[in-house]
Amino acid sequence: MRNFSLYIILITFLSLNSCTEISPEIGEASIPSTERVVLLEELTGASCPNCPKGTAAVEAILKKFPGKVAAVGIHGKFLSEPTKKSKYDFRFKEAENLENWLRPWLGKPAATVNRVELGDPDQKYATVVTGQWESMVVSELNKPHRLSVLLDANYNQTDKSIEIDVTTIPLEDLDGSYNITVYITESKIIDAQIDGNVIKDVFEHNHVLRAFTTKFDGDALATNMKKGESIKKKYVFTPPIVEGLWVKENLEVVVAVHKSSSNDREVIQTAFKKLKG
Amino acid sequence: MFRNILCLLFFSIATFSYAQDKGIISGAFETNANIFLRDSAINAINIPQYDHQFFGGEAWLNLNYKIKGFTFGSRFDMFHNSNLRNPTGSYSGTGIGRWYVKKEIDKVEISAGYLYDQIGSGFIFRAFETRPLFIDNALYGVSAKYQFNENWHLMGFAGKQKNAFETYTGNIKGIRTEGFVSLGTEENPLTLAPGFGFVNRTLSDEYMNAVVDVLRTYQEADRFKPVYNTYATTIYNTLNYKGLSLYTEVALKSNDVFNNPFAEKQELVGDNTLGKLVKAQGSVFYGSLSYVMGNLGVTVEAKRTENFSFRVDPNLTLLRGMINFLTPLNRQNTFRLTARYSPAALDISEMAYNFDVRYKFSKALSANVNFSDIKTLEGDRLFQEIFTELIYKYKRKWQLTSGLQLVTYNQEIYETKAEVPLVKTVVPYIDLLYKFTPQKSLRAEFQYMETKQDFGSWLFGLLEFGLAPRWSFEASGMYNNKPKKANSKGEIEKTLYPTFGIVFFNEGQRYSLRYVKQVEGIVCSGGICRLEPAFSGVRFAMNTTF
Repeated sequence: MRNFSLYIILITFLSLNSCTEISPEIGEASIPSTERVVLLEELTGASCPNCPKGTAAVEAILKKFPGKVAAVGIHGKFLSEPTKKSKYDFRFKEAENLENWLRPWLGKPAATVNRVELGDPDQKYATVVTGQWESMVVSELNKPHRLSVLLDANYNQTDKSIEIDVTTIPLEDLDGSYNITVYITESKIIDAQIDGNVIKDVFEHNHVLRAFTTKFDGDALATNMKKGESIKKKYVFTPPIVEGLWVKENLEVVVAVHKSSSNDREVIQTAFKKLKG
Repeated sequence: MFRNILCLLFFSIATFSYAQDKGIISGAFETNANIFLRDSAINAINIPQYDHQFFGGEAWLNLNYKIKGFTFGSRFDMFHNSNLRNPTGSYSGTGIGRWYVKKEIDKVEISAGYLYDQIGSGFIFRAFETRPLFIDNALYGVSAKYQFNENWHLMGFAGKQKNAFETYTGNIKGIRTEGFVSLGTEENPLTLAPGFGFVNRTLSDEYMNAVVDVLRTYQEADRFKPVYNTYATTIYNTLNYKGLSLYTEVALKSNDVFNNPFAEKQELVGDNTLGKLVKAQGSVFYGSLSYVMGNLGVTVEAKRTENFSFRVDPNLTLLRGMINFLTPLNRQNTFRLTARYSPAALDISEMAYNFDVRYKFSKALSANVNFSDIKTLEGDRLFQEIFTELIYKYKRKWQLTSGLQLVTYNQEIYETKAEVPLVKTVVPYIDLLYKFTPQKSLRAEFQYMETKQDFGSWLFGLLEFGLAPRWSFEASGMYNNKPKKANSKGEIEKTLYPTFGIVFFNEGQRYSLRYVKQVEGIVCSGGICRLEPAFSGVRFAMNTTF
């Protein structure tokens, strides 16, 4: 009987030697030629130890797909409190609302790409697997371009306000109800960030969600849009005066047009622009 | 739907059989029901249950039926706004959580369905369930076990791992052979219980595509060719000689793709970060030596773990998709404050020792000293515990348990908290059980945790009045008497976490109703731990077997 067991062990080891598998090739992601611009909403936070990894993934995506991806860093509630070395607190109520609206998710960093449902009961829109964000972006860029969003964002020196003009033009008939969400983000904010088990005093926070000019889940835009029928929207936002923040050169306006049903929030087109003036 | 039809079919067969031959039907029911009461003072906020759901719970009903060498079983699971799956989320799901059929035919035992089993200590394979942590890693597949003789068997299995009401898509298969050998003489018996196990996990195309997607984003220096197949093997043996028992196990894993949270990853933009997929071989070496002589019992354990994360999908994290189970070596404490800082077994780099001595001075007096030491393979301190316990029994009237615990706990690693110092605690504790009559008893617990780290120092007291065999009443309080941490209002306050409870026993049934305020902390179950947020509310639990 003991001999039999030895045979089992021997056969197992011998059979392993004959198992040489063919591994998949790791190619480069192809960059589609498209007018589509996708929205990448990153759930992040200053007290989130793994979030610098998410930040790096977002920056790499922006570098790889210039002009094709709009990033929004949402500092909501979870792990978003300032560190003991922070100067600023990026949290605000609407950001927390958006973070909750994108639940369930497993942790941070996590990101949604065009709020496409992932089919995972633990992660409805936002996945914690940072390495999958890029392939999600490619997948979204490969979808048909169905709506043009023209955006103009100007800084009014006189009253220190931001004037945002948006025109949407459907490229085909679009059934259903659509909302529009307008975000103001700020980049190049130097402040503390937890990275693993250390607090980095000097960390560049980019695409930080600073305000909405619409409701956090969007304002109603249209229902059953017809091809070629444009819709114009105008928003005016006056940034508060805070030392070191709201630097106009670092502000960006992001506009997303998305479905508005409770079960379908997919973004169909995004536009983003730095402020002029 | 298919599972429901199958279950119906099995029980139809069972009912049909019942008409011809009497079988045995058995079962168990367990339920938890929570009412969530928002309390920002203890950070019991910001999850859907506190914000708008207010109620959440779970229930499991097991039914087993044995007849003519067949065993049929099924389990109905219900999760209703449950916070078990994700402590900061809400999960609802209802359905057949498990079904299985088992048949013994002569020397062969065949099983199909959702199966629980393990190889050795579980280092390479363990299909198990731990409800408090939402772990149900049953193997959905088949197994066959051949009993060569009373001492030796060979078992083979294949299937997929369960994932709530679905399954993961990768395949797992393996074999196990175990035996028993008696050597020596009747006066000096020497026995061996050797075993060998082998497991192969094949990544599904879905998971491999996800791995490739991730690797495509890596810089050249971090890239590697992933493998679909990982092979793990283990050899183990228990040697018994008189009062001596020696268990040894060596487990090895071939090149596997897994997430190493401590590996440095090159970034295209900005500084390098920590954590990436890697491909590496893994190993676990484990030994446990126990010796009992008269009133003395000594146990020494050691375990070395390197790169032994083994999951159905390398992109899974936390407690999801674990194929194996790594035994924790520290003492599993039961008192509230002595259990507060408990380490989870680490799969990437761990060297752990445990030393336990028990001595019985007399029928009334016994003592236990335990020492655990856990470091990374690089020598960084993870955990250390010195635990002493003295038990004194005075006839059947009262029993006193008392001792001291000293812990050093690496919160940075176990709870991924940045720039926090090692938590060092000193916990004296005392537990007194006094029996007024055989039916009436009073148990009092008192513990004090002195620490300058994390939440600061704690006091814990409990009174439990038992009216056997039916009732038990309890009141306890955990008081943060030297607080260090601000609550959600930004204030550092002394906070009391009270609990009041009633437990009722009736035959095989147990009902408990508690009002609970519980601080955030590590919850460990079956040697697996996770960080749980604070709880505030009412908990009802009931379980019964029949």
